[in-house]
Amino acid sequence: MAKKKILILILLLINIFGNCYSENKPYSKLENDISKNLRCLICQGQSIYDSNSEFALSMRVYIRDQIDSGYSESQIYNMLVKKYGQWIVYDPGYSKKTFLLWFIPLLFFLLGGAIIYLRIYKSRKL
Amino acid sequence: MIISNIGFSSLFLGLISSLVVFSCSVANVKKNSLSLSKIIYQFLTTQFFFVIIGFFILLYSFIISDFSNETVYNNSHSTKPIFYKITGLWGNHEGSLLLWLLVLTSFVLFFFIDSKNEPKKFRLYTIIFHQIIVIGFFIFILKTSNPFDTLYPIPQEGLGLNPILQDPALAIHPPILYVGYVGTSIIFASALGAMVTGYVNKFWAKNLKKWILISWTFLTGGILLGSIWAYYELGWGGFWFWDPVENISLMPWLSLTALLHCVSTLEKRDLLKNWSIILSIVTFMLSVTGTFLVRSGILNSVHTFANDPTRGIYILIFLFVLIFISFVIFFIFESKNLENKKEIFFLSKETSVLINNWFMMYFLSVVLIGTVYPIFLDVITSEKISVGPPFYNKLLIPFLIPFFLFMSVGPSMSWIKTNFRFKIAFIYYFLTTFTATILTIYYLSEKDLLLIILIFSLVFLFIKTVTNFFEKNTNYAQNLSHLGFAMLMLSILFNSISSTEIIKNIKVGESFNSKNERITFKKIITEEEKNYSSIIGFFEIKNDENKTIKLNPEIRIYNQPVIATSEAAIKTTFFKDRFITINLIKDEQLFNVRYQNKPFMIWIWISTMVIIFGGTIAIFSKKKNYI
Repeated sequence: MAKKKILILILLLINIFGNCYSENKPYSKLENDISKNLRCLICQGQSIYDSNSEFALSMRVYIRDQIDSGYSESQIYNMLVKKYGQWIVYDPGYSKKTFLLWFIPLLFFLLGGAIIYLRIYKSRKL
Repeated sequence: MIISNIGFSSLFLGLISSLVVFSCSVANVKKNSLSLSKIIYQFLTTQFFFVIIGFFILLYSFIISDFSNETVYNNSHSTKPIFYKITGLWGNHEGSLLLWLLVLTSFVLFFFIDSKNEPKKFRLYTIIFHQIIVIGFFIFILKTSNPFDTLYPIPQEGLGLNPILQDPALAIHPPILYVGYVGTSIIFASALGAMVTGYVNKFWAKNLKKWILISWTFLTGGILLGSIWAYYELGWGGFWFWDPVENISLMPWLSLTALLHCVSTLEKRDLLKNWSIILSIVTFMLSVTGTFLVRSGILNSVHTFANDPTRGIYILIFLFVLIFISFVIFFIFESKNLENKKEIFFLSKETSVLINNWFMMYFLSVVLIGTVYPIFLDVITSEKISVGPPFYNKLLIPFLIPFFLFMSVGPSMSWIKTNFRFKIAFIYYFLTTFTATILTIYYLSEKDLLLIILIFSLVFLFIKTVTNFFEKNTNYAQNLSHLGFAMLMLSILFNSISSTEIIKNIKVGESFNSKNERITFKKIITEEEKNYSSIIGFFEIKNDENKTIKLNPEIRIYNQPVIATSEAAIKTTFFKDRFITINLIKDEQLFNVRYQNKPFMIWIWISTMVIIFGGTIAIFSKKKNYI
């Protein structure tokens, strides 16, 4: 019966944090979209949307509350970034710190184009 | 206990053999004999033989659950089904490295046998460079990740394999992926060998293409299996997450794809020599960097299962040595490969290959920067940022439009120069594409301009590729892979635009609506299996026409190690997947139910298989111009 005991133990463990869940309303599209763009901070590389951890569940409640209080999507992101840092949002955004992140690939693209153009253009002259 | 010692000694003897091969090859370079020394062949075989012995001993220990072996103890359990006992071998760091080594040594042997008609010096140098890699991995295994470490006293029971790895797709995923990864080592060694001996020419290109195709096909297959696994097992209905570990498998794929196109230009026109070499080196570097990033644990990923920093450092040093060697060789011997600067015409296949490479390198840089930038930023400013789907979507999607358009016309170009003549067919293509796009947009009711243009270019690519089959001089293998790619992009696009989902907390007996379907939660039952207990939910989905579909998602609670996983129930039909998962929440009768409608899901897998099928035909094709 050890298995049964373990089963019950796990059910209890999982259920501790579920209190906030009595509301019986499906998640709206906006809620799902927001939760897809947020990292579950206690998981390995999962978004709030993907995860079933307590953190993700409480985050879901937080998102719903904020939407109900009339905050917009970007306002919610800003509040979370203030609280948890940039790590929580999957969109790195545009800032001084991420300038190179966006710029390097584009530079690669321009450089590649220039090389190919020169190669074809030059070879004409030979 | 004894058997583990045999395994270890066998690997040690393998290292000795590879040292012998290395030194004999070096000695052989000086000799003027026409053929290679027999000793090299003999010791390449023994080296392979010893790794095989090691591999089978570990396999045996896994099968009989010999917990005196630390690797088995850490990753297996006596109640596990036999299939997962076997696949547990590569479900961990030590075992997977042994598999690396097995593929590595078998490939070099295969190369030796296969390259009989190639110049002696080229073969020798390739073997020398390849042996450096083999020796590196032997030392890595023996020093930092010995799969034959023993435990005393012998534990009664093992710790078990992570349950989410206990899945058929993931069980065969590593071997397939590794063949792809490790195949790039031959490409790398062969590129260095060809450089040193001045053999970078069309003959080299022709032989190399086979290796590229093998690696490429297996890598594609490995990525496919990984995605299928993620879709079934991780339980939220996605298949690609721009997760660092996924990116790492995508990077060598991108550069291999570039190389595959580039090397055909070298074969046909004797052009792009240095670029082919650079791509060969880069591809292998990306594979090793991938191993480093995954194994070191610097990445935060859903796929990171075990890691140890000291191993990361070893791979890092090894990587630097390899980069250093390749740089030195590249700069010393670069002038040997001087190509006569032939003219490249604007309307030619050469140009389309260059454009392909241009985009591939851009995509590669996006994925690479997106993956490593957060690591560097963290080290330099200790600030953590996440780079996720929004970044990749913004930088990739706009560039896919010109890429699709170039890809549609590229294969129709001729080598050297294409005489462009206006044909009635162009109007036909345009009109068909236009009509098809309008129908699609109407069907999807899509209003985003960027997406509309994307759909247009993609539909054009699809139609053009299909019609290519009816033109003469079509290379079927290549066209098949291109068709698969177009289908893949179409299915991904439609899938992401028109997937719907509903997430709800309900009790047993309740039901809810999703569009025109009614989902009823009938009952739950609990079952006891050998290595897990499960809670199975019974769901009924009724649509307008009163057809009923039954789906039974599961929550599994594994006993060793104790982990709860959620098993999705998926009903696959030709046009869409119905996907349902359940999770437990507080109120004991309340379940979190996630129901998704995912159109064209099966087509994502089918189209990738079409790509792989194209590659396979190319590998076995007798005709030489299969690209």
